[in-house]
Amino acid sequence: MDPGLYIAASGMLAEQVRQNALSNNLSNASTPGYQPQSVAQQSFGAILMSNSATGQPIGSLDTGVTANTVVTASAPTPLQQTGQPLDFGVSGTGYFGVRTSSGVQYTRDGQFQANASNQLVDANGDLVLGQTGQPITVSAKGTVSTSALGVFNVPNAAEQGSNLFTGAASGRATGTVESGQLNESGVDAIQTTTDMIASLRAYQAGQSAIQSIDQTMQENATSVGSLGGT
Amino acid sequence: MLQGLYAAASGMEAQQNQFNAISNDLANLNTPGYQSTEVGFSDLLYSGAGSASGTTMATGTGAASSIIGRSQTEGALDTTGQPLDVAISGEGFLQVRRNDGSIGLTRDGTLQTNSQGEITDTQGNPLVPSIKLPTGDSPADVTIDPNGNVSSKGQKLGTIAIVNVPAPDQLQPNGDNTYSVTAGSGATRAATGSTLQQGALEGSNVDANAAMTDMINAQRTYQMASQAIQYQSQMLQIADTLKK
Repeated sequence: MDPGLYIAASGMLAEQVRQNALSNNLSNASTPGYQPQSVAQQSFGAILMSNSATGQPIGSLDTGVTANTVVTASAPTPLQQTGQPLDFGVSGTGYFGVRTSSGVQYTRDGQFQANASNQLVDANGDLVLGQTGQPITVSAKGTVSTSALGVFNVPNAAEQGSNLFTGAASGRATGTVESGQLNESGVDAIQTTTDMIASLRAYQAGQSAIQSIDQTMQENATSVGSLGGT
Repeated sequence: MLQGLYAAASGMEAQQNQFNAISNDLANLNTPGYQSTEVGFSDLLYSGAGSASGTTMATGTGAASSIIGRSQTEGALDTTGQPLDVAISGEGFLQVRRNDGSIGLTRDGTLQTNSQGEITDTQGNPLVPSIKLPTGDSPADVTIDPNGNVSSKGQKLGTIAIVNVPAPDQLQPNGDNTYSVTAGSGATRAATGSTLQQGALEGSNVDANAAMTDMINAQRTYQMASQAIQYQSQMLQIADTLKK
């Protein structure tokens, strides 16, 4: 069988995964503090081709591509003014900590509010934590000082959905807390749309390659062996 | 393959919610005491997609949005000169007794009197605690001081209470410009530092400029998500024509 068929097919599969990730990024263009995912592609191991009669090497042949890792962007996202006293953003690096039912998790979505016991909670009702892990009290005026909020340094934070990340925090991050502002989504909609078109065309190119190889094989099977009559 | 289709569709739905919330806010641009909605966006679960090398890669499945509360910023004061119009300056709500007997909270200070001389809101819900004008006194005789003390012809009638809850975002809107207390909002307490201004109304706190910009933003993001669906659909078509 022609290895080209499989090489082209592997390219199409990798583009599918990339397209899915881009589609998800675009959906989250309004999600505060969302960090876009990108799919890393890697080539399979190359094989060395050699002349079977003389043993002389001809050169190497790549055997295709695989999408094998998802990379989450960690660059700080810009702040957007909202004017709401309980909206907080991190200027610079770092995450807010929240106590969820499955342990402490981290978020860059600072759209917080007060609960019935005057404590600061996130949109899911989970307690927002200070630097030492204590809950934060909302003043009678409905405000919280920015210094009360913890900013955690979380290397290799992994997305969990609902704007939460898991990971092991290692101390205080360098970012500063700003009130009345929210971190924007890190998605660049124009870049994402362009990537989607590029991915779509690469997918199409893979399909064309498969069709060309298929035609070649058809010629091999039907024409080469036939004793062209007259 | 289909995961991306649905991720894009969920993005459209999230923007649709935002769009509905803004439309409602704009419709209430002139409703006294109306508090604009706050929409929160979030990402959805991350599910593992198998790769050729056997490792799983968690890619996202889209976005969602919901109304997470009401903006507590104060609207601009409109001077009306009406003796029974009051505006709350500061946090808190007026308390009224609704038809079903429950307590309603409102920032709409367009008050009036009913046939018994009781002071009510525009829906006819009497204030709690009840304040009644003596027979023969007209609303024009009423004076309301900044602390809510109501008097008519020099005679003190009662005090308008200003109350608040620990978590105003969790109040349940009733649709008639009143909110109901819920377990999430906590019980009412006296508001701190709030004063009443007679002869004025608090306008809606909807910021029309911000609402319009948010609307354009929601519309464009909606459009782009719909474009993403088209790309996904084209990919399916290409896959379909692989073997003619």
